[in-house]
Amino acid sequence: MSVIEISNLTKTYGKARGINNISFTVEEGEIFGFIGPNGAGKSTTIRTLLGLIYPTGGSAKIFGKDCIKYGSEIKKEIGYLPSEVFYYENMKVLDLLKYSASFYKKDCSKRMHELADILDLDLSKKIDDLSLGNRKKVGIIQGLLHEPKLIILDEPTSGLDPLMQQKFFDLLTEENKKGATILFSSHILSEVQKLCDRVAIIKEGEIVTLEKISTLKESTYKKFKIETAVSLDKEYFQIKGVNDLEEDRGTATFLFKGNVNSIMKKIAAIDIVNIWIDEPDLEEIFMHYYEKED
Amino acid sequence: MNLFFRELKASRKSLILWCIGILLMVAGGMSKFGGISSSGQSMNELMGAMPKALQAIMGTGSLDISTAGGYYGVLFLYLMVMAAIHASMLGSTIVSKEELEKTAEFLLVKPISRNKVITWKLIAALVNVLLFNIVTFVSSAAAVEYYNDGKNLNGDIAILLAGMFILQLIFLFLGSAIASATRKPKSAASLSTAVLMGTFLLSIMIDMSTSIDFLKYLTPFKYFEAKQVMFGGGLEAVFLILSAAFILIFLFATYKFYKDKDMAV
Repeated sequence: MSVIEISNLTKTYGKARGINNISFTVEEGEIFGFIGPNGAGKSTTIRTLLGLIYPTGGSAKIFGKDCIKYGSEIKKEIGYLPSEVFYYENMKVLDLLKYSASFYKKDCSKRMHELADILDLDLSKKIDDLSLGNRKKVGIIQGLLHEPKLIILDEPTSGLDPLMQQKFFDLLTEENKKGATILFSSHILSEVQKLCDRVAIIKEGEIVTLEKISTLKESTYKKFKIETAVSLDKEYFQIKGVNDLEEDRGTATFLFKGNVNSIMKKIAAIDIVNIWIDEPDLEEIFMHYYEKED
Repeated sequence: MNLFFRELKASRKSLILWCIGILLMVAGGMSKFGGISSSGQSMNELMGAMPKALQAIMGTGSLDISTAGGYYGVLFLYLMVMAAIHASMLGSTIVSKEELEKTAEFLLVKPISRNKVITWKLIAALVNVLLFNIVTFVSSAAAVEYYNDGKNLNGDIAILLAGMFILQLIFLFLGSAIASATRKPKSAASLSTAVLMGTFLLSIMIDMSTSIDFLKYLTPFKYFEAKQVMFGGGLEAVFLILSAAFILIFLFATYKFYKDKDMAV
């Protein structure tokens, strides 16, 4: 079953920014990454899903129901962590969390304290006095305390130290194992790579590609660096699938995409000193999609 | 309900301050009467000798300020202005604050419809406005009674304050409608106050010049004037109907605009 179905979603603000014709689905039990740089339309998409703003075209369904028409009903099962966490002044953390819980018709206090323990957050403090990272923790607890079936996170890791980030990811993995679907937006690829099954890459308001993380990496180039005892003919590695070939005094570097056997045979036929074969990291793939087409 | 109590709590401090302000205004204002009344009729003559424009600005007009009731009638104009400012600011901020404080991303992702959000917020605002009105009534009745030596005026003051309550409702819902309609939550409160000041100035201009008397239907400050309510025929039907119309229009606009609004976050 699809938990989120977005079809041709469009939101324009005058001429400026917005999203254009976005379509993708997030399946039940999936951790779905939504990546793109700042201003690409990630938050706009998420806010439209949550009914904070209205689309100018297209529609979106959550749990099979229209996200505007059945907004208050589907939100019972959604937990949301906004990119910037703001709360009412003069409230204690505990009061804020209780207030948040009071909107859901179930007892959330046990889960609330569990989460506070895991994230090491003092509930008796005033929100005004908290650091950015601690505010973020309040946001995380607030988004998870009612054990939602769909967790939507907008740039969730900003402000968290690496240790806390790890705890947070563990928590998400645990929620995911319990059956929660997760939509995770980010501009940091390594964290998406660590956590997500599939990703959608968004660029200037449009989806550029939608792939499994594994395919994304498979379908791309491998980086070869070969050191040879003697200088090679410059054209030696110039076969089908080789790109960006560079030859410099016995060291050849190139990108290769295609059947690995063909390149391995070429390599086996010569006398080599050393070889490095690298998978490109997501960052490089990402840049590949992000380079302006010229 | 949780939202209702949250709003009550959030507005508690400002309501207390406003009530203290009203108490000081009533007590301070009426204590001046103690000084004037000893000089008797001369005060009326002095006021009568002033140009009509000045009388209009001070709000005396045809009121007999040598009596406690007449004097209170002058003071009432300023109480109305205070009540209207309180109501319009409350109405606009209670709606716009979720955007201003950027808590819309907290509240509106909860399982609660926007209509319900507005309903509970408006009910909380109504409670505030009602308490403001009650405090004004009790302090007014007590202060007038203290200086009054004629017939008991509690009934008149009650009707006057009923008029003020209607005025409060008009400006409360005007504020909420403006806050719902505007795309800039920051400007909501100042915009409603500007409208309020505009209608107040209009009411003074009408007092200065009878030729624009027909404009009185446009400014709620002319609907429930003391000289009409206390010393004329009470609340006038035409103004009651106009008030009801404004309240309903603003209320409808509040719900409609808030429901269709893109939250500025």
